[in-house]
Amino acid sequence: MPAPKTQDLPPNGGYQKIKFVRVPAKTLFSGFQIIGAYVGITSFAAYIYYLTYKQIQREEIEMRSCKLALMPMLIAERDREFLKQVRRNRDEESKLMKNVPGWVTGTWYGEPIYKTKPKDYFDEGTWDDLCVHSNYRTSAIRQNFHLWN
Amino acid sequence: MPLTPFFRSPFTDFTGGLINAQHYDKCGQFELDVVECLEAYGQDRGKLKCRDLIEDFNECLTMTKRTMRALAMRNERTKQYWSGELKEKYQNPGPRIDSF
Repeated sequence: MPAPKTQDLPPNGGYQKIKFVRVPAKTLFSGFQIIGAYVGITSFAAYIYYLTYKQIQREEIEMRSCKLALMPMLIAERDREFLKQVRRNRDEESKLMKNVPGWVTGTWYGEPIYKTKPKDYFDEGTWDDLCVHSNYRTSAIRQNFHLWN
Repeated sequence: MPLTPFFRSPFTDFTGGLINAQHYDKCGQFELDVVECLEAYGQDRGKLKCRDLIEDFNECLTMTKRTMRALAMRNERTKQYWSGELKEKYQNPGPRIDSF
């Protein structure tokens, strides 16, 4: 005789009820509190922004006036050093080319670079002209510095 | 730099010389001088009369003479260094980097 089969039945006391009611999240703040906090925080941040903005403007003005004050001196120093270097180069050229026949300092074998310019015309030249008596590295350092800027 | 195009054709006549050196601060005045001279003498006589001005303008644009000068000085320096006339090959110290 076969053993009687046990049927699948609900547990004792029946199944749990299906939860279909919405469970709302716990409310920490009310709407008015949130809006009030938003307004408060934003106005505080705006005040801080205002202070920082004023400070940055002050610093910019300070930097600008600093540059304006320094620029004439820096440019004058640059021009002064440039003229000194030009003089050094002229002396160097006279010393170097004294044995070359027909060579006149500042010209190409007696032929000036610009024929129609007056005698006291100052030709500024290029950076490579300034470096003509020095090592290539001297010229390259400034070119590198200049091109990265 | 010739003021007329190298290949003259109806297309180049149509536009005229649009490329000039007026925005090159170094050579703008040279070009103006050349153009004024050519305007006074015309194209054919101007080639003779304005030769110096044209050569100066060319020199300003191409810097040929300037480069030749630098090269000649470099060569002379190298020659003197290897023949033992110069103790140090280069001017020392060179120009400061903030001096131009």
